[in-house]
Amino acid sequence: MPKVTIDGEEYAFEGQPGLLQFCLDHGIELPHFCYHSSMSVPANCRQCLVDVGAPVRDRKTGEFQLEENGEKVIRYFPKLQTSCSHVISDGQVVHTARTSEKVERAQRDTMEFLLINHPLDCPICDQAGHCPLQIQAYKYGPEGSRFEFRKVHKPKKVKLGPNVVLDAERCINCTRCVRFTDEISRSGQLTIIERGVKNYPITPPGVSFDEPYSMNVIDLCPVGALTSADFRFQARIWEMASTPSITTTNAKGSNCFLWVRDNLVMRITPRPNPDVNEFWIPDEDRLTYRWFNENRPCGPAALSKSGACSWDEAIQETAEILRNTGKETLFLASARATVEDNWMLMQLAEAVGGQVAGYIPHIEQGHGDGWLRTDDRTPNSQGCERLGLRPVDMELWGARLGAGEVKGLYVLEDDPVAAGLCSAQALENVQVILHYYNTTNQTLPSANVALPAATVAETIGTYVNEAGRAQRVVPAKVIKGVNRTLMMQMGLSRADQHGTPFDRWHNESHYVDCKPSWEIIPLIARNLDVEIAAQSPKKIMQHISASIPAFAGATYKAMGLSGVTLPPIEIEVAG
Amino acid sequence: MADFIRNPVVALPDSNPEAHFSEEELVFTPEEKAKIAEYVTQYPTPDGAVMWVLWLAQEKFGFLPPEVMRLVATELSLPYAQVYGVATFYTQYYKEKKGTYVLDVCTCFSCQFCGGYDTLAYLEEKLGIMRGHTTPCGRFTLREAECLGACGSAPMMQVSNGPYAYNLTPEKIDALVDAMEAGQPLPFISVTLPQDEDEMGGNRRTDAEAVERYAVPPVAKRTQ
Repeated sequence: MPKVTIDGEEYAFEGQPGLLQFCLDHGIELPHFCYHSSMSVPANCRQCLVDVGAPVRDRKTGEFQLEENGEKVIRYFPKLQTSCSHVISDGQVVHTARTSEKVERAQRDTMEFLLINHPLDCPICDQAGHCPLQIQAYKYGPEGSRFEFRKVHKPKKVKLGPNVVLDAERCINCTRCVRFTDEISRSGQLTIIERGVKNYPITPPGVSFDEPYSMNVIDLCPVGALTSADFRFQARIWEMASTPSITTTNAKGSNCFLWVRDNLVMRITPRPNPDVNEFWIPDEDRLTYRWFNENRPCGPAALSKSGACSWDEAIQETAEILRNTGKETLFLASARATVEDNWMLMQLAEAVGGQVAGYIPHIEQGHGDGWLRTDDRTPNSQGCERLGLRPVDMELWGARLGAGEVKGLYVLEDDPVAAGLCSAQALENVQVILHYYNTTNQTLPSANVALPAATVAETIGTYVNEAGRAQRVVPAKVIKGVNRTLMMQMGLSRADQHGTPFDRWHNESHYVDCKPSWEIIPLIARNLDVEIAAQSPKKIMQHISASIPAFAGATYKAMGLSGVTLPPIEIEVAG
Repeated sequence: MADFIRNPVVALPDSNPEAHFSEEELVFTPEEKAKIAEYVTQYPTPDGAVMWVLWLAQEKFGFLPPEVMRLVATELSLPYAQVYGVATFYTQYYKEKKGTYVLDVCTCFSCQFCGGYDTLAYLEEKLGIMRGHTTPCGRFTLREAECLGACGSAPMMQVSNGPYAYNLTPEKIDALVDAMEAGQPLPFISVTLPQDEDEMGGNRRTDAEAVERYAVPPVAKRTQ
């Protein structure tokens, strides 16, 4: 197998790897800005310079030339090479800044040039704290600047589009954003204009940077030149805790991080997963962060208690309703809820003697683009299908509800009124039990018992995306009340988890009074005198993966953080 | 300092400019289209021809407002942004309406030493405009240019992307401006560099008579 020597250590390689990617894969740090593994290599930041040489062969004999001490003679390239564009070949010798003073000096001087016109506004810059330029300037840069002249001033706070703001002065012209629009999203909306010190990326006149994936350039930008119009100046990076999660606006289940400060989701950024979303998420996924913070319920409510009540009262009331309506209860599962929640609902329906009718489909024709957006606007319809649930016949059940044939309606984390299943008037004589996320839920005014449910940011559970990939989520936010299972899954370093009312960063009013449905349903069952064992989602999933073939292998351990692909199943297409 | 922020050295392009040409005007004739097709065949990918086509458009329309760049982009099936990036990279493409004569005075290294800024200041005073501006009569635009590659004949300037005027002195500039105002041919002779200095007896400018005028690029007649 061919070998390459990097900083005196030998590495075997296969094929024709790029030197920079090879180093990054093997944990050898090389400073770089313009290189991104998913895009073409322009080699224009000049930061990843290394010294590359190859052993010399004797032209006549073909043997390696040897030094007097028996070591091979190495002939180096006359100039330093950009490691991003250099393809490794057998026997090459590479020196990084760790073993070559020349490389160290070159990288320091390149950095000095990059910093000449870069404003020193790190204290107010959104990128500070996770800024490749800042980090690498500390590690590889000069101690000071010799540039004592007026810097070139360029346009600041330019709104490129609805979601992206440009600060041209901070730009180091790595062209990552331009290459993203050219090669990845293919909107071709950005370009570098002007030349020399005056250049910066922008849209051409009359064009707004409004493509559905525009905000990915914010993460790509290695400096603070491109920032989010929404998140700008909202939080410093070190004040937030990031929790791996998945997005729930569509059936793709793109992997993301939820960034939480003081128990509020501040922003959502993509989490690389080569099997699902690579490095990207659409803008609509990012902009749903408000949904976790705003219009959240403050505890359960019951009509018979004329409004807010305790959890015990709400659950007793639910049990009472179920006892009365019994078999005539329409149970609706939800493609927005986790597999565990839906499974628990099926157990409850069985215990009452009824059956889950199915889930409400949320298909928006034409929304999908064949990439990271799908027509299906729910995260877990595939999970419901694998549990044996089907989309409900909207017309049939709408008519039955309108005709008063249904006595009770049990809705798991969905909104039948907004989805068009039935009107609010049709529910006047129906006993409605509703698990809901936001107070904007249009079924809420008709509900007899309203049970606030934990969102994807607060619960533990499994979602199955359209390609049959099971992915689990862990809580990013704390909820009111104690749930040991949830607490155990929280990151231990979380400042707000351990906060007390005396800490300045801690605000208890941001705790939402809700419960995950897998916790609520066993409580209801206990009041109905039927036994549904309260289990942690992990145990539930263990049970499901062992008993349902469509979930074979979907244990929490196997899913890890990047999910596991489930065996394919045949799905009847809705409608 | 605050002034720099309000008036950045590098300006933001007008994001919503008014169109200078109507829809009917924004078309390439069949002959021009044939020419463009010929340019495209010279490169492995169509985007290689973007500079030729931009030049063709500039000769046709006089300058390159956004709608003309859009036309070029459509013609070559390129992203409009890419065409815009190319056009802004080169100062030789005029992004706004210029005077009949565009005077590009070189103020780069060699010309600066030999009086490039003096030349520029003299022209500013003579024409009564600042660099980067056009005279109210619309005859002259005065610009400061980066190196135009004629360091041997500094200080120099280029007229409307065409002829070079070498070894400028106030008298030469006066004669030049007078001729341009009168609409006459320029009274100086562009000098080509001799291929072999020894043949010229060491004198670079003995072949001055050989060339009357510079033809404006692009002139290369390309026949397949």
